[in-house]
Amino acid sequence: MIRYIAQRALLALPVLIGILFITFVLNRLIPGDPCRAMLGEKASDAVCTAFSKRYGLDQPPVVQFGYYLGRVLAGDLGESMRFGRPVTEMLMERLPVTIELALLSLLVATFFGVILGVVAAHWQNSPVDVSTMVLANLGVSVPIFVLGLLAAYLFAVLLKESPFSLPPSGRLTAGVRVQPIAAVWGLNELGGPLRGLLDFFSQMYVLNGLLTLNSKLIVDAGRHLILPVLVLSTVSMSVIARMTRSSLLEVMNLDYMRTARAKGLNERRIIFRHAMRNALLPVITVIGLSLGGLLSGAVLTETIFGLTGVGRTMFDAISSRDYGVIQGFTLVIAFTYVVVNLLVDISYAILDPRIRLG
Amino acid sequence: MSTSAATASVEPILKTRPRGLWRTALRRLFQRRSALIGMAILLALILVAALAPTLATHDPTQSLIGVEEVTKRQPPCIHLFGCPHDQPQHFFGLDGNVRDLYSRILFGARLSLLVGIVSVGFAIVIGSLLGATSGYLGGWTDHLLMGLMDIMLAFPSLILAIGIVTVLGPGLINTLLAIGIVSIPVYARIMRASVLSIKQQDYVTADRSIGVPTRRILFGNILPNALTPLVVQGTLGIAVSILDAAALSFLGLGAQPPTPEWGSMIGQERNQVFTAPHLILFPGLALILTVLAFNLLGDGLRDALDVRQRA
Repeated sequence: MIRYIAQRALLALPVLIGILFITFVLNRLIPGDPCRAMLGEKASDAVCTAFSKRYGLDQPPVVQFGYYLGRVLAGDLGESMRFGRPVTEMLMERLPVTIELALLSLLVATFFGVILGVVAAHWQNSPVDVSTMVLANLGVSVPIFVLGLLAAYLFAVLLKESPFSLPPSGRLTAGVRVQPIAAVWGLNELGGPLRGLLDFFSQMYVLNGLLTLNSKLIVDAGRHLILPVLVLSTVSMSVIARMTRSSLLEVMNLDYMRTARAKGLNERRIIFRHAMRNALLPVITVIGLSLGGLLSGAVLTETIFGLTGVGRTMFDAISSRDYGVIQGFTLVIAFTYVVVNLLVDISYAILDPRIRLG
Repeated sequence: MSTSAATASVEPILKTRPRGLWRTALRRLFQRRSALIGMAILLALILVAALAPTLATHDPTQSLIGVEEVTKRQPPCIHLFGCPHDQPQHFFGLDGNVRDLYSRILFGARLSLLVGIVSVGFAIVIGSLLGATSGYLGGWTDHLLMGLMDIMLAFPSLILAIGIVTVLGPGLINTLLAIGIVSIPVYARIMRASVLSIKQQDYVTADRSIGVPTRRILFGNILPNALTPLVVQGTLGIAVSILDAAALSFLGLGAQPPTPEWGSMIGQERNQVFTAPHLILFPGLALILTVLAFNLLGDGLRDALDVRQRA
């Protein structure tokens, strides 16, 4: 098992270096002069020379890539030319927003996706099955931005006076205060990585509310998250529901399922203990893969709902040619994706002995 | 004596013509209701795209200021549904630049179909070439090419497409290219998998041993076998491409105004959703229908051709 994990991890290494290389090349190919994009069209040549020197842009590309690689390994993702701040610092501030959004969406998508898939498979060809699959087909066909805008209109305008009214943008209502977890816990003197971690978690408002027992914060942050999560999870939920259904149907026809029924086991036990174990394998792959969709979708969802997370920052950085931020954020997104796929591969091996032994 | 009797009884069977894979598939496809719905929507869309100049009531890019007594972002006005007859008729209302939304959406069908088909076509051609080379040659070429494909797959597709469009510059053609490039790995993998499985077959070894040129083996034996998964994946891929292109246009990186592209139409009016929801609803519905059609057809094809995901 350990050998299998090590093997998979080693295979991911060249991919990660490749990602770094592609990001680097793409950024260097972006047309336009970063100096004039940052400092304005009127920046003098002397100023731009100093600017290039400061950010190492006067060095040959190979040297720049070498420097970059070294810095990344040391945990330094460079500096935002636009804001003059370290990219790592910006990431620490914005990553929690995206992680909270993506994780909640993944959770919602998996939970409801699997349930809908099981229900549809169990009552195959019934009206429940047909309507679930029609909805799932629509779910994969709706563009996130259309769904987001229409949902915002529905819940913020049409249902404004009803109890179902939901805020269409932002993370909190004005007046709701957020305190760092460390401050609430009386750990103000705490420093080092632990403090960094606590401050990171503080930015996830729902988690912050849970950890500091601040019910007002949980409710308000949660209400602001309902629409973005609903919108972002729709595609993954539909894909997961479809995959669960087809995978379960395939397993249900196998001989060992007939044996289980012949033994007189009840239907729930048959589905959840016997069928699901095998049927879940492809579903897990889909769940892992859907993270890529969630990260792509986060760019759109964050733009629509006015959330300052990784996706929206990426988009702003691209519009203003902020190389450092694009590089750093792309790297982190791709890195996350590779690691998640690695975890999916490993969980596959844990669940299915045929893979690690085969 | 007994031999001739046996021959006589076999004859009728020989007379029935074997049904080919594609004919069987087509028959199965027509038996599936969802695939039929997909085909019907698609046919309607193709008709709309082809007949857009005839069906449109107005010029899709011309502002109606001074031409008609209308205000900007006016909601739909259909005489049949009780809109006063003294007001000019606009089925889907007017947009922020006082243009007829219905005409813009009709012309938008051309762009979306074009983007989907061209970008996927590009990806299939390049991807198949790369995959076939990779699988056929093996060794270092294979490692290098598939390594590159793995790296491309490590990026969420829209993020990579955004990166490529940033390099190439915003615009419809560059969006097409970016989405095409991003989709290459999927087809390369399908093609490679097919090549690898077919390369080992005896009839290919036989061909090689009698000196059939590589090109003819690739195009004569291997490509036809890889065609079914490519067609299925391609149909589903068109749906994804249309969605991604619309997303890029929505973000302002794709088609530029005044081009009547659905995604960019929604992007331009997104802040008006609370006051003029029709500007989001109609282009949105058009997008949903188009993507749904390709998804339904792709699913139908997959079942009809019985293709398992090989990539």
